[in-house]
Amino acid sequence: MKFKDYYETVGVPRSATQDEIKQAYRKLARKFHPDVSKDPNAEARFKELGEAYAVLKDPEKRTAYDQMGNQWKSGQEFQPPPDWNTGFEFSGRDFGSGAEADHSDFFEALFGRQTRQHNRTDTPVRGSDHHAKVLIDLKDAYSGAKRTISLRVPALDSQGHVTVSDRKLDVNIPKGIRSGQHLRLAGQGSPGSVEGPSGDLYLEIGFNSDPQFHVDGRDVYLNLPLAPWEAALGCSLTVPLPEGLVQLTVPEKSAAGCQLRLKGKGIPCIPPGDLYVVLEIALPPANTESEKNAYQAMAKAFDFNARAQTKGNPV
Amino acid sequence: MSNLAVTVLNEKIVEEEVHLTLMDLCHACHTSEDHVISWVYEGVLKPIGETPANWRFTGPSMRRARLAASLTYDLEINLPGIALALDLLDEIHVLQARLKRVSAR
Repeated sequence: MKFKDYYETVGVPRSATQDEIKQAYRKLARKFHPDVSKDPNAEARFKELGEAYAVLKDPEKRTAYDQMGNQWKSGQEFQPPPDWNTGFEFSGRDFGSGAEADHSDFFEALFGRQTRQHNRTDTPVRGSDHHAKVLIDLKDAYSGAKRTISLRVPALDSQGHVTVSDRKLDVNIPKGIRSGQHLRLAGQGSPGSVEGPSGDLYLEIGFNSDPQFHVDGRDVYLNLPLAPWEAALGCSLTVPLPEGLVQLTVPEKSAAGCQLRLKGKGIPCIPPGDLYVVLEIALPPANTESEKNAYQAMAKAFDFNARAQTKGNPV
Repeated sequence: MSNLAVTVLNEKIVEEEVHLTLMDLCHACHTSEDHVISWVYEGVLKPIGETPANWRFTGPSMRRARLAASLTYDLEINLPGIALALDLLDEIHVLQARLKRVSAR
């Protein structure tokens, strides 16, 4: 087991006051909150921070932690000294944060495992609801799909040890589902106590990122590169959409950034979204002599100033 | 490690097919009725129905309520702060989606 320097995690000296600890914690918590931060390590950092703060904000735990002395370095191999906490009485307060505490081995070796104490009653209690995130492909939302998802479920056995079971669920992804929506799997949460009903499992749906299509709510966007002559003269193209090939007519005099709306070709929810084809102009490189000649012929043929709209009209 | 395979037949899209009561929402978001009621009065959540007993939560309520709960517990943000944070997060979400589309060009 590695020693954890909670002061280092929160970024305060060991002499910090409770107010300074609170201030430093809040600043970092805002920075690394997984719902707010885009940092890929945000979730892990936030968890470490929560654990450090759970100890440092509580004068009893902080004093006990300080008692071990300051010779320990973060990451150093560590075993709690025997009777290290003699003379301390932990009042067993709840650890604050709404979620079930999920702390490191280091924390648990010192302060024990935090479990939710349910009062034993004879009243049936509904099991708790669970949440998980699932990523699907965009085309699954078009056609509906059957997906087997694996969830790792930590549970406490009768001796209080944590066991992890791997639960597989066959889930029908309904056609028309959008990113951010939730699927409710009734009865797939925690079992209830005293014959209370089981909780539900909520799956939050997200889309795997797609190199071609971008999704915004119920609408889908596709960027379509065109040669300058295709955009200028118009053309007919076969375009692959999530639900199959479609014949698309690009009108003449199309400009870069123009959007062609294919009504109802977005995500097939109710009402269905639209699919927008966003036109781009790809510039052909002039490598050979005849290609260069073609550009020169264009320069002669057009009375065109690319900077006509630019301020100051640079020539 | 045990391995169980279960086929689920009765899944429903919460946003479209399920109307959550106040109690359902509290249970799903591991939060108290007092909190949810205060979020409704602050305009963070918009249920259908007049009184808490009749409220039915639809649409993105669950995502917003879970977010409000985690910001309340983890960051100790007060009520107006929650409302502001959620509005700003929505705005960031819209802008990010737009940015993603534009930068893909």
